[in-house]
Formats: sequence, C-alpha cells, structure tokens
Amino acid sequence: MSSTDTETFRDLKAAATSHRGDRVFNRTITAAAFTALVVLAGIAIFLGLQTIPAFQSQGISFITTTEWDINTDPPTAGIWGMLYGSVLLAVIGLVIAVPASLLLSIFMVFIAPRRLASALTNLIDLMAAIPSVILGLWAFYILNPTAEEWQQLLNQYLGWIPIFENTSGNFLGTPFIAGFVLAIMMIPIITSVTREVLARTPPELVNAAESLGCSLWTMLRFVALPYGRGGIVGGIMLGLGRALGETIAVFFVLKLVFETNWYHIIESGGGSVATLIVSRFGEVSGEFELSLLLAAGFFLFVMTLVVNVIANLIVARTGRLQK
Amino acid sequence: MTVTFDPSTLPELQNQPIQRPWRRKPMRFTLSIIVASIIPIAIVAALFFTTNLPGAILMTVIYFPLQLIASAIAAVVSRGTRGIVDSIIIVNAIGATIFSLVVLFSVIGSLIVRGFSALSAHFIYQNNVYVSPSTPLEYGGIGHALLGTIIIVAISGLIAVPIGVATAIYITEVRGRAVPYVRFFVQAMSGVPSVVAGLFILTIIVATGAIDQGAFAGGVAYAILMLPTVARTAEEVLKLVPEDLRTGALALGSTRSRTVFRVVLPAAKTGIITAIILGIARVIGETAPLLLAAGNADATIVNPFGGPIAAVPTYIFNNVALPYPDAVARAWAAALVLLILVGVLFVAARIVGRGRLSSK
Amino acid sequence: MSTAEFEGVESVDAMEAEVETPVKHEIEMSAEDISVWFGKRKVLEGVNIDFPKRTVTALIGPSGCGKSTFIRTLNRLHELIPGAALAGRVMYEGRDIYDRDIDPVHIRLKIGMVFQKPNPFPSMTIRGNVLSGLKLSGMKRSNHDDIVEETLTAAGLWNEVKDRLGSAAGELSGGQAQRLVIARALAVQPHVLLMDEPCSALDPASTLKIEETIRQLSKDITIIIVTHNMQQAVRVSDYTAFFLAAENQPGYVVEQGPTTEIFGNPQDQRTLDYVNGRFG
Repeated sequence: MSSTDTETFRDLKAAATSHRGDRVFNRTITAAAFTALVVLAGIAIFLGLQTIPAFQSQGISFITTTEWDINTDPPTAGIWGMLYGSVLLAVIGLVIAVPASLLLSIFMVFIAPRRLASALTNLIDLMAAIPSVILGLWAFYILNPTAEEWQQLLNQYLGWIPIFENTSGNFLGTPFIAGFVLAIMMIPIITSVTREVLARTPPELVNAAESLGCSLWTMLRFVALPYGRGGIVGGIMLGLGRALGETIAVFFVLKLVFETNWYHIIESGGGSVATLIVSRFGEVSGEFELSLLLAAGFFLFVMTLVVNVIANLIVARTGRLQK
Repeated sequence: MTVTFDPSTLPELQNQPIQRPWRRKPMRFTLSIIVASIIPIAIVAALFFTTNLPGAILMTVIYFPLQLIASAIAAVVSRGTRGIVDSIIIVNAIGATIFSLVVLFSVIGSLIVRGFSALSAHFIYQNNVYVSPSTPLEYGGIGHALLGTIIIVAISGLIAVPIGVATAIYITEVRGRAVPYVRFFVQAMSGVPSVVAGLFILTIIVATGAIDQGAFAGGVAYAILMLPTVARTAEEVLKLVPEDLRTGALALGSTRSRTVFRVVLPAAKTGIITAIILGIARVIGETAPLLLAAGNADATIVNPFGGPIAAVPTYIFNNVALPYPDAVARAWAAALVLLILVGVLFVAARIVGRGRLSSK
Repeated sequence: MSTAEFEGVESVDAMEAEVETPVKHEIEMSAEDISVWFGKRKVLEGVNIDFPKRTVTALIGPSGCGKSTFIRTLNRLHELIPGAALAGRVMYEGRDIYDRDIDPVHIRLKIGMVFQKPNPFPSMTIRGNVLSGLKLSGMKRSNHDDIVEETLTAAGLWNEVKDRLGSAAGELSGGQAQRLVIARALAVQPHVLLMDEPCSALDPASTLKIEETIRQLSKDITIIIVTHNMQQAVRVSDYTAFFLAAENQPGYVVEQGPTTEIFGNPQDQRTLDYVNGRFG
C-alpha cells in the first residue's frame, strides 16, 4: 500500500488549497443529492396535473365508481374497483406472506443449523431478485392449473362461506391467484427484514431467558418478538408497498373487470390500478383515455408513497435501519 | 488444607475423547420422533392408493394436521406439556421453509425445462424481424432485445450511478444539514413502483415532446429505479471507510473534493462496484417502465434516440400469452436467459463483496 | 428438595450408595474431570471441584483461563454455544446432569445464573421481570405478590422499588438492575446460584450491597462466584479455586481449598504469586 500512498499524499500537499474548487464541489454534490426530491416532486406534479382533466370530466365519481366507458358520449370512468382491488390483492397476499415469512425467519434464526441457515439466506435473496415478468410467466403456465384445482376444491367443500363463493364456474383470473403471486413476491422482502431483526436480539437477553429455563416459544414470546416488533412491522409494510405497485405478474393472472369484486376471492375477475394502466395502455383510444390512466397512476403513486413513508418511520422509530 | 493439581492424571486427561453428551437423546425421544415422522406419511400414502381423494386435499387437509398432531404427541411424550407449542412452531416453520423452496425451485426448474428447447446459439444473436408468432424455432432470437437491454441499462447507469454516488458522498462526506431529509427522500424514492416511473417518463414524452419513446426514455425510467439502490449501497460502503483516512488527508492540506476523489472513493472501490452491480440487478428485469417508455421493436436498434426498442423483459412479455407454442417456447427461453443474467449479477455482487471484506 | 423429582429415578437407596462418606459439609454439586473444547481447541482440562451445600465458592484466576466457560457447564448453558464439547461429569442430587434422561430446563431452574452485565428484560416491568422465570419455564407457583416481595427482599432491592413495581425495568441503575436479576433468578427457587463476575460492571457501593446479599443468600443456597477481585473473594467466599492457563494451553485448577488457606497458606508458588498480586 506504499507507493500509491506517497504519490497521493505528495499530490495533496502540492495542490493549492482551492477554496473555490471546494465550493463548486460542495454545490455540485448537494445539487445531486436533491435529485431524489426533484424526481419525487416531478412525479407528483406531472401526474398530479393529469388528474385535472379526469376530475373535470368525471368529478368525484372518478374514484368512487367502477366503470370504463370511454367510447360513450359523455365518457364515464371510475377507478374505485381498481383501487379497492389493489388493496384486496395486497391483503390476500399479506395473509399468506406474513405467517410464512415469520415462520421462515424463525426457522432460519432459531431452528436451522448454521450452514443450512446461510444457504437459505442466499436462496431467499435470490427469490427476491426474480423479475416479476418471469414470475408472471411461471404463474400463467404452471401455477394456474394447480391453483384452479385447489380453488375448485375450496369451493366444493367450503363454498358455503361467502368469500369462497363462485357462481361462474371459472376459477382462473381470480383475486386469490393474484394475491398468491403477490405473496410470493412479498415473502423474500418480509423475510429478509424479519430475519435480520430477530438475529439482532441482544444475546444477553437470550442468555438470560435460557438460564431461566425457556422453551423456543417462551423465548420468542417474551424476548425475541417483543424486541423485533418494530422492525417486523416495518418489513411487512415494505412488502405491502411492493404488492400495491406490482404490475406485470398480476397482469398475467388476474382477469380485469370493471365491477368491484368485494370479497369473492375465488371468483374470476378483480381489479388492480397498476394492471389497469398496463393493460389499457396498448389499446388506448386517445389523449383523453391516456390522461385517465395517468391520473390513475397518480393515485397509485400516492398510495405506495404513503405506505413506504409509514414503513420507514416505523423502522426508524424503533432505532433500526433496514436494507 | 488445600488441594493442588495432580500431575499424574495428565496422561489420562490428554487422551480424553471429545464428547457432546447432550446429543444423546433418551430412547423415548428418538423413538417418538421416528414414529411421528413416519406414521402421517404412511397414513397419507395408504389413503392415496386406496381412495381417489385428490392430492391437494390429501396434502393440506390430512397430512399437515396429522403431522402436527403426531409431532405434538411426540413432544408431550419426551418433554411434557411444555413441548406442544414448540412442536407446533417447529412443524409449521419447516412447512413454511419447504413451501418457499418448492416455489423457488418450481420457478427455476420450469424455466430450465421449458426454455431449454428454444435456447440455441442463434437465439442469442438473431433478432425478431421476419419472425411471427408461428415461425418455427430455427429462426429468430433475442439478439435485438439483449442489445436493447444493454443500451437501456447502460444509459440508466450513466445517469443513476454518478448521481447515486454523489448522494452518498453528500451524506457521508459533505455531511450537510439536509442529510436526514436527503435520506428520507431517497428511501421514499425506493418505494416508487416501476410502473409509476414509466408513467412519469411517459408524461414527459407526451406532454413536452422533449424526448420520444425509445432507449433513452427507458434508460431514464430505469434510472429512477436504480438511483435509490446505488445511493443506499454506496452510503453504506462509504461509511465503512475509516475516518482516519479522511482526517489524514485533510491534515496534509487536501481539499474536501480531492480527499473524496483521491482517497475515500478509491478506498471504497470494490464497494462502489458492488453498488453498481446491485443497481443493475435491480432494474434489468423490470418490464412496466419499458412498456410505457421504450415501446417495442423487432429490428436491432443501436441509436438510443431512434424510436421504440425491444428489451428482454418486453420480449418475454409480448410472447407469454400468445396461442402459439413456439412463441411461448421463445418466451421461456428468453426468461431463462434473463434469469441467468440476474443470477450472474447476483453471484458477481457476492464475490466482489467478499473481496472487499478480505482485502481492506 | 426431593431427589425423586428427577425423571426416571428408581430408588433412594441406589443413590445414597453414590454419596461419599460424610464430610463436614454435605456436597451440593461436584464437577468430576470436566474438560471443555470449542471445536477442536481444548480450553479446560480436568477440573475437579466439590461445592459444599450452603457455602460460597469463589473461582479466581487471570482472565481467559476458562472460569466463565466452566460455570456454564454447571447449568448446561455451555451446550448452547456452537462448537461446544465436554468430557467428564457434573454430579448433582446423585446424578450426572448430562445424563441422557435429564431435562436441561429442569437443571437450569435448580441451578440459576447471574451474568456479568445486568440483563433485566427492558420491555417488562420490575414485577414482570421478577416473575419472568415462571413464564419462561412454565413453572407454576401461587402467590405472585409474595414471590415478588420475598425475592426482592432477599436480593436487597425491595425497599428501593416497592412503590414502583409497575415501572419499566430499563430505568434502573446498574446495581439495582443486577439485584433485580438476582431476584429474578431466585423466583424459580434454585438450590445453586452461579454468578459470573456479577459486580465487575458496577460501582463500589453497589458491589458491597451485592456482596452483602451473597452472604445472606448463602445461608439458604449454594453460591459459586467467578471473580477477578481478590478482596471480594476474601470477603465473600468460604472456599476458593484458583484457575490458570499457560499460553495456548487449556485452563486447569492449580489449587483449591478453604479461602483462608488459599490466601493465607497456599502450597503452590503460582497461587502465592497470584494472590499477592504479582501477576493477573
């Protein structure tokens, strides 16, 4: 490490202390650092402006009704079903992903032997890196047939429960499948945050619990989970943000319908703002319809921004930074 | 009277075998584990062969509860009532792990099995001109899409990497008053969905006409997604550079900017490379922004401002739902190529990261 | 304290045959030829110590000799460390605690531990902390209010916290936290209390308070304390064992016996040097 060091230090010594150079440096770097703010503001403004034509023509019903009749005169459009659908799909995903991620993290931190745990960590990280278009492809051809069979059975034996009602006989394109795919995307995110938080449980507290004769459950209940609560909630919200914004994987498995599907999760047909944008984009009939899509995008932006900000506040407040 | 160490015991002590007595479990425990593992499977297998209950039901409704009960009984037999909750947790935790691994391997496996047939040398370099969905697999490929991805990712890197590293420099070197705000905005930006990034660029395209749909527009959309990843990783990496290096340089009369460029950044070189690799991995598979901002094309395009261009994710997207098996086979093959690219980046980041830990 | 509480015990006669011929104090616990490895590295060799009932035994010696490792073999915390291995026996209530039929949780309740850094559970109240051992192990005891008062009194903390049992444990000072930890360990009714340098992170006033507590507690339970402070060993203990380890060699017990003898009339030159402060 010697010769380049002396070169550098000689260089530094020889250089005139350029105050002007440093000022330029500081200004440039500071300006670059605010790019994030500029971009966020830009998105908010540009997309926000697009909501004006939408509200002008539709009024508040743009976000309270569910329809898409662009070609009638006057055209009517309402994205309530899409907004609700995005949330419904995310909730279905959470119901599957949260227990799975918690259990997976508990396995990796407290049960699995060291080498298995580190192999699993790498595999979960790999799972997080799978692009959504690949998941969509897999879901369309591989998941769909199996999911169809499962939902049919669910309907056959538990169809008397309202959420498992299915009157069309079509079990493809259901919110359940879409929610399941979202769960697959959320599991690696939630697991990696939860695993890190649980692994950071102070060893002296774990030792104290062990010396008092704890079992796995009592250690989790009284030491590890209370300690990790904030980080875990933060991780869940990060997963939620991801799920709300997910487009492509949902596109391939959800049948988009302009009728709010409130709770028939194994009935074909559902809504999602992100999928609406991508699926209508190819056949957009003109500037007006495009502006409606952009307005929908604005609401999607706001939804995900709010969730993300809350997630980061929760994690920061518990004093832990997540990756 | 005190007792001192007896040296005559030394030879015996030096030959003591290394033991782990806690690993010897009582007969009761081992037996109950074996029984608890075998009986549920045996029952399910018997049912499978004798009745025609569908496999799905057998696995979830019958096997899983049976396994839970069997494990709970095993736990009670060896540890008393205390063990029941633990056994439930362990069985479920193992179940969750197996579930996740099954999904992961199903995805990877299906890509390999279904994509392999269309994969060939020409698939990598030929483009999509003269290729229709029904064209057999000997013709056509993703050459144009690979080039498109490379161009778009390169453009996004040229934008996002300098800005991202600059943001990190602001946080760790300049340490201005706005640091908590900058970190907040970067974190908020990381939550922007990829489709929104594409929409934003689309709005600029449509509203201002300053740029057209194409590689450049796609690159800018990607840059929005890449920036937070690069900035956060670079921040972590710069924080690891020892403070002494900076203090030493400044004490020699160096300016802040020279310290950063001649001392800190070189010290963090491998970490910055890791940040770039992670940034690329973050965006390389994103489809939605390209559908909106870059469009699609069949020919090989090199000019970033030359209009719509194809990329690997959009190629896959357009071929997935076509009713022609050859087109679908192409989608699988392209997906396999994309996954391999992501995998290579993933491994590269790990290798570079490990190098960083061992060298400095 | 009936020996039949252990699982799988057949007859009292069989066990009494194992007990040594009576000495002045009955033996509570004894380590026989305990050697410890981490991975392939041997860190302790051939430790043989008897711990008489209701006495205080101090384990002294320079740092790194394996004293802390040794006491963790006495309550089966050692096996939770990755790579841990062990040879020898620890006899308690007539049986080797590492016997395959014995439940480690049962051992840890009978043989409690206080660590160097006070570690009350910060998310629980003072009262919650005292009773936490019951919740963690599933041990059932009635009269929780009595337990809280008795253990906090025995630990010398009752008067200071009796009006704020519901406040968070995180607000206590180091000395108070350590006494809370002692109370917590006492709540599960141990017969032996292991203490790993319990005062080394505390101020002198708290240290004296805790030494006083130790002397009081030793009237009912057996205490084994690892300490770097030789004056503390003299003040507090009835018996002392001196550990030593040469460079890259496993630690072992050079000399052990009544504290007065170890400090006043040791047989080994190294013991004499250590207690006179010539190294350590």
